[in-house]
Amino acid sequence: MRNTDPCHHHPSICCLLEPKDPREEEKWAAELIQECAKAIADKDSSKIRHLLWVLNELATPYGDCDQKLASYFLQALLGRAAEAGELCYTTLISAAEKQQSFVTARKVMLKFQEVSPWTTFGHVASNGAIMEAMEGESKLHIVDISNTYCTQWPTLLEALASRGSDTPHLRLTVVAMLSMGRSVMDEIGRRMVKFARLMGVPFEFHVVSIVSTLGQLTEEELGLRKDEAVAVNCVGALRRVRVEERDAFMRTLCALRPRVVTVVEEEADFTTSRGDSVACFQQCVRFYSIFLGMLEESFSPTSNEKFLLEKECSRSILGVLACNGGGVCERREKASQWCERLTEAFAPTAFNDDVIGDLEALLERYREGWSLVPAKGNAAGLYLTWKAEPVVWASAWKPIKP
Amino acid sequence: MAGEAVSKASRPPNPCPDPSLPPVVKKKRNLPGTPDPEAEVIALSPRTLLATNRFPCEICGKGFQRDQNLQLHRRGHNLPWKLKQRSGKEPRKRVYVCPEESCIHHNPARALGDLTGIKKHFCRKHGEKKWKCDKCSKRYAVQSDWKAHSKTCGTREYRCDCGVLFSRRDSFITHRAFCDALAEETARVSAAYTMTNTASIGSVDSLLQDGVATPNIWKHLSPNLKPNIMDREVGQQDRHGCSSWMGHGGRLDNAFDGTTAMSEINHAGLVDSQLSWIHCNKLSSLPTSNTLKPLMGSVPSLFTSLPHRPAPDVSATALLQKAAQVGAISTTPFSGSFGPSECQNTSAGDGSVFDGLLIHEFAASNTDEVYITRTRSMLRDCLGGATRDFLGVGVQTLCQPSANGWI
Repeated sequence: MRNTDPCHHHPSICCLLEPKDPREEEKWAAELIQECAKAIADKDSSKIRHLLWVLNELATPYGDCDQKLASYFLQALLGRAAEAGELCYTTLISAAEKQQSFVTARKVMLKFQEVSPWTTFGHVASNGAIMEAMEGESKLHIVDISNTYCTQWPTLLEALASRGSDTPHLRLTVVAMLSMGRSVMDEIGRRMVKFARLMGVPFEFHVVSIVSTLGQLTEEELGLRKDEAVAVNCVGALRRVRVEERDAFMRTLCALRPRVVTVVEEEADFTTSRGDSVACFQQCVRFYSIFLGMLEESFSPTSNEKFLLEKECSRSILGVLACNGGGVCERREKASQWCERLTEAFAPTAFNDDVIGDLEALLERYREGWSLVPAKGNAAGLYLTWKAEPVVWASAWKPIKP
Repeated sequence: MAGEAVSKASRPPNPCPDPSLPPVVKKKRNLPGTPDPEAEVIALSPRTLLATNRFPCEICGKGFQRDQNLQLHRRGHNLPWKLKQRSGKEPRKRVYVCPEESCIHHNPARALGDLTGIKKHFCRKHGEKKWKCDKCSKRYAVQSDWKAHSKTCGTREYRCDCGVLFSRRDSFITHRAFCDALAEETARVSAAYTMTNTASIGSVDSLLQDGVATPNIWKHLSPNLKPNIMDREVGQQDRHGCSSWMGHGGRLDNAFDGTTAMSEINHAGLVDSQLSWIHCNKLSSLPTSNTLKPLMGSVPSLFTSLPHRPAPDVSATALLQKAAQVGAISTTPFSGSFGPSECQNTSAGDGSVFDGLLIHEFAASNTDEVYITRTRSMLRDCLGGATRDFLGVGVQTLCQPSANGWI
């Protein structure tokens, strides 16, 4: 996929054409973007304009990873410059939602899961923790706040069905996130119901759409019942809670009195550097270049699913760099930061050996480059690493008894 | 009986002392964890459970894991008939509890019925997983489990009704749950759950559209560079009446009168004329660029659209040098920069697509519905693609006459 035409080489930094190591040249987008960040911090308008111009010349969403990065960041920067980030973002989201159908959503998710453990890692870990926490329970209620369109649940349903003598009753309440369209969720619901019937698991499915922000979710909206054991599953969810609402959100979760809360997040810090463009850009560039590189290596070059995931990536970058508050939030935090928030109300619970075994078996089935690393220090849980970089974090939590 | 056992000769309490426990009476007696109330509860120590020679032969002292093995061995000693009989063995049934306190089988009400069972349980759940499958890294504490797994690991194939073959069980299951084959199977049966989602039927087109329509500024930046795609986009707009950032029906029409967001921003006067290059061609674009393949195929990067031997003045380096010149020439300051500026008051509220709090009750089953517990083999059959509708035709209200159903 990389263009190896010797007649062209990627420039590194405009006006600073020092001779560079050819390998270094491949990272030109990161450097350009960083320079831009510095220029913004310095309020150097001519330099900003200059760099944007260069980025524009070199960027394309149809090129290699650097060109894509340049393209997405340029879009985000322009949105930011025009203070139209929120508007662009919500437009993109609703446009994507309108174009989305159950068939395309399914295709993208399942293909992604086939070529990369990026999402399945979190699913296997969470399901394992849920199964363990719910052992012996006969009425389960899972509150699902995730961005993976319920692809986590078929394997859990199967596990429940083959658990042994008593198959419990499962109620699944899905909190639909911004990009998950009504018709898609309804169709998913229908499929889940059918599948549960096939598995012989008594099942109920509800979708809750949040109107304001995730951080303002209330217990009433979820419709909990008295005699059920609750599990809250947050996959790619916490980062969508506005930063100032995060601590309160932890308390809301605790108030649901769950047996277990499973948290899966992407390992990046876009929160502490909110005010500082240079650091924020650096974190963004680092994370998204890893992500794009992973997509590149996992999918075939002309994959449409990859393209749609990249589009989502570009929206995400816009969300991080050009949206500040309002309804849009994609500010990721690292494991240690989430742990600090979670330990206010919860205590971490370790994944049992079965789950670890399942995770290792899972990673075996994908290409080289993935591995499982336990979190250390003041973070609990497990990391999925891609080329030795931690990218996804999975953990399980139990409420601290009052 | 082995000397190390710590025996608690007590009755297990009534299996239903606590309403939160599953009502045992409705289940068959010999299901795991539902012991006979008359049985004797034995609590063995972990050491005993993991020991491999609990049953010693009184003749030669050889130790055996199971009583049956010991008996077989004793026969070999050619004992006179009288001594062959077990002395003083109680005919009373024994059940075993797990020594692990946090385990559910620690509770005598959930004790397991046979010694081998409790040993296996303890080993599997609380023991060290010494046996590892070399194909998939799955670990096992009980050697027989590991052996059984190794035999089938990687050999098993799962075929969905739609024809696709899987080597991985989890991807098979996930696929199956969302597969149209599954949907069709029960479509005829259940009128309430019709599948015809008209949006999804047109999805092949939307797929194409997804691939082509780009939400960003590129189509305005280099119209000459991607003529084919532009044409297609225009064509598709006519056909579908929408494109990513073009006006859709509904409230977005007001906000984006058929233009992209970037143009809107420009019209709002937010973008200084200094950024007007956004709407011009890229320096590197060429007037005729017919080397582009359709988007669904491989789209060459920006630079391969140049002729094979680009003249020096369109190389990237030269480009940058040009850029340096361009940048140096213009003198007017960049207004409307990244600092605060007066924003046109676009009603950002329009971006919210949710009208209000919606709770969609998609309760599939009313509480009258009764499900029959499946055994593992039936499960396998179903997953194996057998199309039998186990619950029979008419899935809406299943009221099985049998009382042995689901509560």
